[in-house]
Amino acid sequence: MTQVTPTFIPQDAGKAKSRKETARKARWTVVDVVIVAYALIPVLWTLSLSFKTAEAQTDKSFFPSEWTFQNYKDIFTTNEFIRALVNSIGIAIIATVIAVVLGTMAAYAIARLDFPGKQLLVGVSLLIAMFPQVSLVSPLFEMERQLGLFDTWPGLILPYITFALPLAIYTLSAFFREIPWELEKAAKMDGATPAQAFRRVIAPLAAPGVFTTAILVFIFCWNDFLFAISLTSTEASRTVPAALSFFTGASQFEAPTGTISAAAVVITIPIIIFVLFFQRRIVAGLTSGAVKG
Amino acid sequence: MSQTAEAPVTAAPPPKKGKPALSEGKKAERRLGLLLCAPAAVVMIAVTGWPIIYSVWLSLQRYDLRFPDQREFVGFSNYVAVLSDGYWWTAFGVTALITVISVVIELVLGMLLALAMHRTLVGRGLVRTVSLIPYGIVTVVAAFSWFYAWNADTGYLADLFGADAPLTDRVASLAIIILAEVWKTTPFMALLLMAGLALVPDDLLKAASMDGATAWQRFTKVMLPVMKPAILVALLFRTLDAFRIFDNIFVLTKGANDTSSVSMQTYNNLIKGLNLGIGSTMSVLIFIAVAIIAFIFVKLFGASAPGNDPGGKR
Amino acid sequence: MRSSPGRRRLLAAAGATLVAASTVAACGSESGTQINVYYAPEQNFQSVIDQCNKEAGGKYEIVYRKLPRDADGQREQMVRRLAAGDTDLDILGLDVTWVPEFAEAKWLEEWTGADKTAAEDDVLEGPLSTAMWNDKLYAATKNTNVQLLWYDDTVTPTPPATWREMIDAAKDLKSQGKPYQILFTGAQYEGLVVTYNTLVASYGGKILSDDGKSVVMDKGAIDALRLLKEVASEGITDPSLTNAQEQQVQQAFERPDSDAAFELNWPYVYAAIQDANPDRAKNFKWARYPGIDGPGRVTVGGYNLAVSAYSQHKPESFEAALCLRSAESQRYSAINDGVPPTIESVYDGDDAEFVKAYPMWETIAEELDDAAVRPLTVVYQNLSTITSKVLSPPQDIDPESTAAELRDQLQKALDSKGVLP
Repeated sequence: MTQVTPTFIPQDAGKAKSRKETARKARWTVVDVVIVAYALIPVLWTLSLSFKTAEAQTDKSFFPSEWTFQNYKDIFTTNEFIRALVNSIGIAIIATVIAVVLGTMAAYAIARLDFPGKQLLVGVSLLIAMFPQVSLVSPLFEMERQLGLFDTWPGLILPYITFALPLAIYTLSAFFREIPWELEKAAKMDGATPAQAFRRVIAPLAAPGVFTTAILVFIFCWNDFLFAISLTSTEASRTVPAALSFFTGASQFEAPTGTISAAAVVITIPIIIFVLFFQRRIVAGLTSGAVKG
Repeated sequence: MSQTAEAPVTAAPPPKKGKPALSEGKKAERRLGLLLCAPAAVVMIAVTGWPIIYSVWLSLQRYDLRFPDQREFVGFSNYVAVLSDGYWWTAFGVTALITVISVVIELVLGMLLALAMHRTLVGRGLVRTVSLIPYGIVTVVAAFSWFYAWNADTGYLADLFGADAPLTDRVASLAIIILAEVWKTTPFMALLLMAGLALVPDDLLKAASMDGATAWQRFTKVMLPVMKPAILVALLFRTLDAFRIFDNIFVLTKGANDTSSVSMQTYNNLIKGLNLGIGSTMSVLIFIAVAIIAFIFVKLFGASAPGNDPGGKR
Repeated sequence: MRSSPGRRRLLAAAGATLVAASTVAACGSESGTQINVYYAPEQNFQSVIDQCNKEAGGKYEIVYRKLPRDADGQREQMVRRLAAGDTDLDILGLDVTWVPEFAEAKWLEEWTGADKTAAEDDVLEGPLSTAMWNDKLYAATKNTNVQLLWYDDTVTPTPPATWREMIDAAKDLKSQGKPYQILFTGAQYEGLVVTYNTLVASYGGKILSDDGKSVVMDKGAIDALRLLKEVASEGITDPSLTNAQEQQVQQAFERPDSDAAFELNWPYVYAAIQDANPDRAKNFKWARYPGIDGPGRVTVGGYNLAVSAYSQHKPESFEAALCLRSAESQRYSAINDGVPPTIESVYDGDDAEFVKAYPMWETIAEELDDAAVRPLTVVYQNLSTITSKVLSPPQDIDPESTAAELRDQLQKALDSKGVLP
């Protein structure tokens, strides 16, 4: 955040400015710590469960009295979890890319262009987002079995794209409409083709929306359980959230909290990486100055 | 595509009472619009068209998978059966309560979080990433971690309310469910709102503060109006999802003490009871309830809704 | 920020390759007959399958297709696929309460002739009745399960034999400041129905008529309601009773500062407490589930193996299923996975390994001789959902009006009318 600097700077103002700066930074640090604590304390609880031995699972303490890596070793002894991770990564990335591309195209059209059926499309996509997915699963299962898509990657990718598109379209069109018209017109008057105008002028300004959508779609695909468990049958396409419900405890009645916690920690790491990478692109104030120039 | 919006139509006769003739530019614009939307529309309709229609069709039938011979068309009697069921309305009330409270809290918290994520001077990347972790964790795992935390025998939070097991008391367990929901999905709101904040031009804010506007005025008069479309999307989708809450309730209380939601009841009837007729009816009813909510939101936000802009500014 | 056309093409190619590779990988190699057994994830079941594959000598290969850990999840998976006529399923691992439902929906192949004789041979009566429907055999029993009374002999040297004794003992212990709680599964789920069913059977009452077509809810059933209410509201059970499933019950007894004196749970808790609380485990003893005038009639749990009506390899499936639940297989599973066998000859006091894993085998065998089953009806799921809802929370039961509500709701469920909670 830049500051407005007056032209005449008295001698002490320099020190006063830096003191103010430190005070502001200190206040923000406090806010940050509160946010991090709020977000992470339950997560740390899961983390601590993953490091606890089987007996210590039921002691009420927040920190493990003895630390063990056994849970992490256990989830990697067979191929199943690794295979599930591979499935998750591949399916989520492909679905996210396609959903964002299709969504961007549709959102641009909805925000900028006039064509018949625009309202209808917007309404229909909302309808799809609203209908309870639990009743759609069985017909979808039957369709996929007929088409041979059951238990395959496309069998999951297609539903994920479908159910991510409404959010993608809505989010992206909200962003496209905020981009001033003059920019596009100016670019075209400078001789750019519509595609170039889109790439050079619009796309950078739509970046906050695109990357926000990408993050949300990725998380949706990554964490979906309902479709993952209903449209897969073997390791060929089972993703991680579904794989979690196949973990065995010591007996039929004991939920393997240790290994599930360890698995949950492991599968949160790609999300952290994904978000860390993309959040940088959601930058502030890109439109400022653009219109003047 | 011509550069000007309305290319002068040269020798055309004046428009008759019917539709005016479209200019070439307009036609090209329509073609482009339809072309751009086509892939998305095709995918969405191909995947969900038949399932939705089939679901609605099933709701008009009496169809229990275990009695396949008794299948018959019964019109709206399923709807009558569900709407006159006490359990349905209890679940509906609980769902509505949870939805309203959690969405309101999430909007406020989400806005605060968005402001922090957007403007913090210290560790911006860290704060943004960490704030999204709750949303990124698998719902069932998060629910289980709350369950173990609040459970009287195993949890570190259980003693917070005194001697009684909080998950066995209706009010306390509803509060815990709402807490779990809010903790999990506030980042969703915050992310959308933060991206909305990114659209607010800095120079407008600077100008406002130079004119003497207080922080609150800058917020309400400058930031909020620009953010309206983003707020609408966040509110709309979050409410739609909140109304269909399932995992948190299922893990925390299994619906005991009348904390069941409409989604849980639908699951019970559709999957456990194998009553495709009643289950589909409940799905349609949930859909209608959610559609009404969406309609209200869109009306409230007016022109900020997508597609309400007439467009055609080429 | 846009990537160059070259990089984009590369990404697209990579994406396409990923998709293609995944589709190819999904097609397994199908040489010879493959029998797919859909069963809950059991840690050592694969070894049983490997052994049976060896014995098959190449005629067929059994492949283990895992189902989710929770019973509802397993049923959901199988129901969805059987309703669509999926030919991929050959052998189904059914919880004991699903057999009538699946049989009536015509998803199961009946066992006849030599297969039937082999499946019934030496099987205990209680478990066997769960595999039959309308006097036909639809499954071969694989394992069973019964709950026992577990107690700490430093707190109660002699275990109570009836519920009345147990309640009195608990109140007594409470006034002395010792551990006193009676723990059982009271959450709003199947476990509560199991507890209630045991009580009803112990009273000699009936919930449904014998043919499963009408609701009875006789005096025994109402007395059972009264007893359940009493236990739940006299302050002698865990405060989180309405949140307690098997694992919570087990953990509440294992806790270092536990207030529990009696636990009603499945035998798996014995192995669990050895690791969780070795001190208390030394005094951890078992006895027969308490009843009304004597030992109780306990509800049987367990799993049966059925052959899907849509299977394309039925003869091989019958043979494979028989191997998977043979006496040797059951013995192996009993020792390694903690699931009690259904075949009487496995309960052998001279089998050192078996006795070591099941020191309580005699008590289990006694209980199985006089066991109860849950109501055998096609709409058992509805019954269970309704019963668990109406009985929750147990403290709020009013015997007369709760019985009336159950009568009304259950009859609606039997007629396939009404809406489930």
